[in-house]
Amino acid sequence: MSDKGTESAANGAPQVTENSITAGQNDALIVAKDVTYSYRNGEQVSRGVKGVDLEIRGGEFVVVLGRNGSGKSTLAKLLNGFLVPDEGTVTVNGVDTADDDKIFDVRSTVGMVFQNPDNQMVASVIESDVAFGPENLGVPRDEIEERVTEALETVGMESYRTGSPNRLSGGQKQRIAIAAILAMRPKAIVLDESTAMLDPKGRREIMDTILKLQREKGMAVVLITHYMDEAIAADKIHIMNDGEIIASGTPREVFQNEAAIQRAGLELPVAAKVALNLKKAGLNIGFALTDEELAEEVAVALTEEKCESK
Amino acid sequence: MRIEVKNLKYVYSPKSPFEKVALDDISFTVDSGDTLGIVGSTGSGKSTLCRHLNALIRVQSGSITVGDIALHARKVDLKTLRKQVGMLFQFPEYQLFADTVKKDVEFGPLNFGFSAEEAEAAAKQALELVGLDFDEVAGKSPFELSGGQMRRVAIAGVLASKPSVLVLDEPTAGLDPVGKREILQLVTELKKGVTDTVIIISHNMDEIAEFCNRVIVLDNGKLIADTTPDELFNHSDLVDKTELDYPHTVKIKRLLAAKGCTLDSPALSADQLTAAIIGRAKG
Repeated sequence: MSDKGTESAANGAPQVTENSITAGQNDALIVAKDVTYSYRNGEQVSRGVKGVDLEIRGGEFVVVLGRNGSGKSTLAKLLNGFLVPDEGTVTVNGVDTADDDKIFDVRSTVGMVFQNPDNQMVASVIESDVAFGPENLGVPRDEIEERVTEALETVGMESYRTGSPNRLSGGQKQRIAIAAILAMRPKAIVLDESTAMLDPKGRREIMDTILKLQREKGMAVVLITHYMDEAIAADKIHIMNDGEIIASGTPREVFQNEAAIQRAGLELPVAAKVALNLKKAGLNIGFALTDEELAEEVAVALTEEKCESK
Repeated sequence: MRIEVKNLKYVYSPKSPFEKVALDDISFTVDSGDTLGIVGSTGSGKSTLCRHLNALIRVQSGSITVGDIALHARKVDLKTLRKQVGMLFQFPEYQLFADTVKKDVEFGPLNFGFSAEEAEAAAKQALELVGLDFDEVAGKSPFELSGGQMRRVAIAGVLASKPSVLVLDEPTAGLDPVGKREILQLVTELKKGVTDTVIIISHNMDEIAEFCNRVIVLDNGKLIADTTPDELFNHSDLVDKTELDYPHTVKIKRLLAAKGCTLDSPALSADQLTAAIIGRAKG
């Protein structure tokens, strides 16, 4: 039963057609309403998240920022039914994540990639690792082949298909982990600090891959990160502090919200920090998010004359 | 403390089908007072190199001298060596093991022959150095603490033995911005007294540029540069030839140069870059 449901949910839905932004694609895909979750360990209760309202639309790139322990990972785990709210509801494509009978639908619609690539490999051959998800969903054999090929091509790892995951770099392992999610044909992928253990090249590989998924495949991406650079390209950023969302908006809006940045213990991207300090020093510099924007602002502020008369 | 590495070579699983040259003829020295950055992609040999420095990996070929201890000698006084060279591994919070913070931090000093009182005093001092209140955390289980606090307890465990060389393998990976800054400020603090020589492995070029006075670049087991951050990022094209990256500040400086605004500053930190732009605007 649930296999069929999954397939039609993942395959047949019109809103996942590539590159056309249909009305359906912008519909709310994941909706969290007044969600509270606490961890209980005997007598001890520690809060995960409290009163969180969140909406993630199809095809949207959403970043969640916040200090260690602010509830980001708890929120991530609530988005695909890894955790079920104590209070409030989370729905995925209209399905309540608390509905045990439909949990496979939920998990094949919203996939998760975690921090440590080594903890996510289940098979000794890459193609079996990628096939693991669809196999468990009961996808027919020949279609699994097709899905594995497509998933590995999407992450640029098709030439490693019959190899072992052991000898891959961290970035490559994470790309395999993403491929394993893609093979389930989800509509959203949640990455919980998935670049934290990678070198700069590995980080670039993962960022390029997820932006490609979002832009070309219309997939919603929820990225939890400590790297402010990775947040710059987001459609929307949510800042979490002590289990609550304290600010939401575009990167431009959020990074200009000094109070929220301070309170959540975040840092501005380098360009924004320098721009702000220059402005405070009396220079006529507007807000800048990227290195390019800052260079442009500074070049304009320093008159031609000053620049050339070195 | 001076460290001298000469023609160091290390091969994993020698004479087997899995043979892999991890370090190939590496030579460099670290002087007392240096903060040395080690950069290179995953698998370039950074961690293998660092593990040599307190003899977790024994020298196969070549030589290493730490202070007056020869690590390539047949017999090495490991206790003395490891007391002097403190090593913090990646994600050290996973290595906490004792049932209280105090026991965890005291473990090193007790093993190095400190008396119970000395060990407690050392633990107290180390915890305070990393910004934790001894009386508040001493009796707690390390596993009750937040990720950032756990990492600081792990660092305290290394500092308690009062090492004169501190080797940090990606000390800020996975920490939030405040946690990162705290760790780096701690390193700066330590340099003023406790530990005169620091070696940091990092993938974060912004950190290397701002905090290190020297940097070596490893690529596929070979040492391809032994230089300063200024030289590496501002006066060479080595970064383009590797899988490394430039610090943001240097990228911004280059973008400005392309627009005809050349800055004289090395721009190795946001503050330096800001000051250079202000200087240019007002000058």
